[in-house]
Amino acid sequence: MVAQQLLNGLFLGAVYALFAVGYTLVFGVLDILNLAHAAIFTASAFVAFSLAAAGVPLPLAFLGAAAVGGILGILLDRVAFAPLRRRNAGTLVPLISSIGVAIIIGAVLRGIYGVDEKHFTTGGLDTAPAIHLGPVTFTAVELTIFVAAVALMVVLSWVLRATTLGRRIRAVAADRIAAALLGVDLERTIAATFFIASSLGGAAGVLTGLEYNSVTLDMGSPIELKGLAIIILGGMGSVTGAVIGGFIIGAVETLSIAAGLSEWRDAITFGVMFVILVARPSGLFGKRALRQA
Amino acid sequence: MNRTSVCALALCSIGAIGAIVAFAAPSGAASKGPAAGKTVHVGVIADVTGGAGVYGTPQKNAYELANDDIKAGRIDAGGANLTFDVQDAASDGAQVVNLMQKFMTDGSTPLVLGPTLSGEAFKAFPIAARASFPVMGTSTTAEGVTAIGPSVFRDSLAESQVIPTTVKRTHDKWHYKTAAVIFGDDNAFTKTDGDIFTRELKAAGVDVVDTETFHIKDTDFQPALTRIESKHPDVIAIGALFPEATKIIQQAGKLGIKAHMIGGNGLNAPDMYSVAGPSAQGTVVGAAWYSGAKYPSNLAFVKSYTAKYGKGPDQFAAQSYAAAQIVADLVAHGATTKDEMLSGLRNVRVIQTVLGPIGFDPNRDVKSSPVILSIVKDGFTYFH
Amino acid sequence: MNALADFYARHSQLIDQIGINAVLALSLSVSLQAGQLALAQAAFMGIAAYVSAILTLNYHWPTAATILVAVIAAAVVGAALAYPVRRLRGVFLAIATIGFGEIVRVIANNLGVTGGAEGMSGLPQDANTLAIYASLAVVALVLFLLSRTKFALAVALVREDEHAARGVGVDVGTVRTLSLALGGAIAGLAGALYAHSSAFITPNDFGFERMEQILVWCVIGGVTSPVGAVLGAAGLSVLPELIRFLADYREITNGIILLLVIVFVPGGLASLWRRGPVRVRV
Repeated sequence: MVAQQLLNGLFLGAVYALFAVGYTLVFGVLDILNLAHAAIFTASAFVAFSLAAAGVPLPLAFLGAAAVGGILGILLDRVAFAPLRRRNAGTLVPLISSIGVAIIIGAVLRGIYGVDEKHFTTGGLDTAPAIHLGPVTFTAVELTIFVAAVALMVVLSWVLRATTLGRRIRAVAADRIAAALLGVDLERTIAATFFIASSLGGAAGVLTGLEYNSVTLDMGSPIELKGLAIIILGGMGSVTGAVIGGFIIGAVETLSIAAGLSEWRDAITFGVMFVILVARPSGLFGKRALRQA
Repeated sequence: MNRTSVCALALCSIGAIGAIVAFAAPSGAASKGPAAGKTVHVGVIADVTGGAGVYGTPQKNAYELANDDIKAGRIDAGGANLTFDVQDAASDGAQVVNLMQKFMTDGSTPLVLGPTLSGEAFKAFPIAARASFPVMGTSTTAEGVTAIGPSVFRDSLAESQVIPTTVKRTHDKWHYKTAAVIFGDDNAFTKTDGDIFTRELKAAGVDVVDTETFHIKDTDFQPALTRIESKHPDVIAIGALFPEATKIIQQAGKLGIKAHMIGGNGLNAPDMYSVAGPSAQGTVVGAAWYSGAKYPSNLAFVKSYTAKYGKGPDQFAAQSYAAAQIVADLVAHGATTKDEMLSGLRNVRVIQTVLGPIGFDPNRDVKSSPVILSIVKDGFTYFH
Repeated sequence: MNALADFYARHSQLIDQIGINAVLALSLSVSLQAGQLALAQAAFMGIAAYVSAILTLNYHWPTAATILVAVIAAAVVGAALAYPVRRLRGVFLAIATIGFGEIVRVIANNLGVTGGAEGMSGLPQDANTLAIYASLAVVALVLFLLSRTKFALAVALVREDEHAARGVGVDVGTVRTLSLALGGAIAGLAGALYAHSSAFITPNDFGFERMEQILVWCVIGGVTSPVGAVLGAAGLSVLPELIRFLADYREITNGIILLLVIVFVPGGLASLWRRGPVRVRV
């Protein structure tokens, strides 16, 4: 049973990690908590549903929906964060404006799709045969989702490390003013960051929707706060940290349930986060130590 | 006795019998009751948007359908101009309370139906009870709701009224020895389900070998189901609402779990099978309403609801429509003010609704029989 | 006079809600004035609400006593929380306190004495409008008097430049602890009043949704302005009823209003009254 539980945790953690990466990218570059991330997660899932329902094959629907998520991210920045950047508004105010955008996205989704749960009717998600591998059971769908999540994180890692864009993003994250002085186009880099972060968040949404074959208006709320715990655990601004953090939290949750402590699992997750935050505020991989004032 | 008193007695008896017949006679379609021509607005508080929107929207739909049906005479309100004014509380307790106060003090609302959630009822009903203002819950099935006050009624069968029957009927048929219970621990309705299932199973001599909990909006039940499966129970009792229930059943199938599954009211929704998949076949659901029940108004209700909204009604919709039918019956008998509504509700004997013939017991809870159903490919059938 | 009585009879619940929300907003404002993004007010509110409710329902204490104990309990928790988070700033502090709030919510959900998910019903609704607004007045008075003390100066200095504050001998740790305790006490007062004006409390009344709400009130009203906090709380509490006629469009209107105020009215509603530059940087 333990092996199955660990596998459950692994699958869960992969999607959590993908979501958290988006959070941490935006924080690393802009010092903002983007509370509209979960809304974009949800919006992309609905877009994928619409594309699939219109006959687009699932893999294309997935990519298309993730791209739409990325575009939403750019729009989000233009509307909610960019105007505030010009007047140097601190960290609290952008947080609130992201809440405003999240509410708007939710209202629009409800207007278009209504309150009922949506399901993917194509792709044979419900009839995927179970694969038995020794002590564990899983379906081809779950495996595909896991692989897709990991692949996206690998691609991101490569982009950040090996491309010019990636270098620019890391430069802006390290020191915005210095980067600007060195000629980095701040606004374009920020827009690119939002595109990447939000398309990954959107991808996480589509994968979650496919995993449980369910797309609902509130599918983002369980993961919204957990994402915060993950990026703290992993270290704010660290992509590696977000990935490892995602898997750790996935494991913590699953093992809490396996140990019969399911009703305490959120407290355990945030308890772990709290302890890490107090003992080592920079998290496991964060380069940023405690921020002074 | 002398002749005069015998005559008097006879006349009084005839008069009394005549009065009883007149008051008890069922109203025919679109009859002319004492309130004919009068306008009656009944207030409805529902969570059309927000977290509980998926439950409040079918309620709103049912009332709007009822408004149409009254205008067209398909529901008999005795010729009165009866309408249901549905207001959205957006799943916000503060708005529920404000709406209740608004309806109570607007000078023209004689009765309020709703709100959608039991917790909201616990916040808003005390205000109504203190003012002897009649209110009726149509989905607030927690324990203690009607005990809030003598003007609080309920047309939705509580889980405590349904689950004992569910357990008994399935145990009589399957004779199971062990069971597991899985329920939502952060929602009053699902937690009640879990507690009552556990209690009833134990009372039936079944060994509850595992108890698992989950949170509302959870999507991954595999860790919990894996634990359940390791104990190999004969039956799994599910205390969940529709979104979680479908995933539990589907994922149980994915993990190869073969136990029988039984559930509460939350599973009584038309697309259980189409969403949960083939693993749902044979799941037993204890419910307050069956879409295929051949009560006079039920099949027509299902048909017109489906035609108007593109999908079949669920239990939330049915219980709301039934409430509309109850209110229409009161109005047809002349009730237009809050005191008349209150005494009307107190004197209800039996009203024909889509839930079947119902009345109220001395605690103002609905008097109706639970129906035990089995999930099949196109919906439900009776469990035998 | 009759019109006033009539208005009150129709809206007393909303009027009470505004009062309690204003106290809550003030509690967050205290933290924000110290430059601390301590988002634990909803949790303090919840702790106090449950303490008061349990003492009332299970031990039949007189209401005023339960409120007093609840406020003290919340203040103590606030002071205690200050210690583990003493080195955290900005977003880190925010997330830590959100996490604390979640832990409190889960505990309330799982304990038997709090009624768990089924909540506590049958609470005597004996905190009337007078009590609520008297409390608001007391809090406002206390904050006003405090604003004239050296403590307030220290608080402002810590907010603007912590290093400088340390440099002139301000004990930053104590300032932060006291502001968290004070914020806790005020939120606790709101929570105890809430328990005595609602017939029913449940763990979800005190979770992240509530915290977000309080935060929005303060920022819309004007981040470091107590007057702004009260304005924000009052305005946004009334908003759902004012725009009820928009029906299905209420939700999107909320989001749009939020965005518009944030983007176009930088100092919040309070700045529409005030002249001069608004120093807002939290």
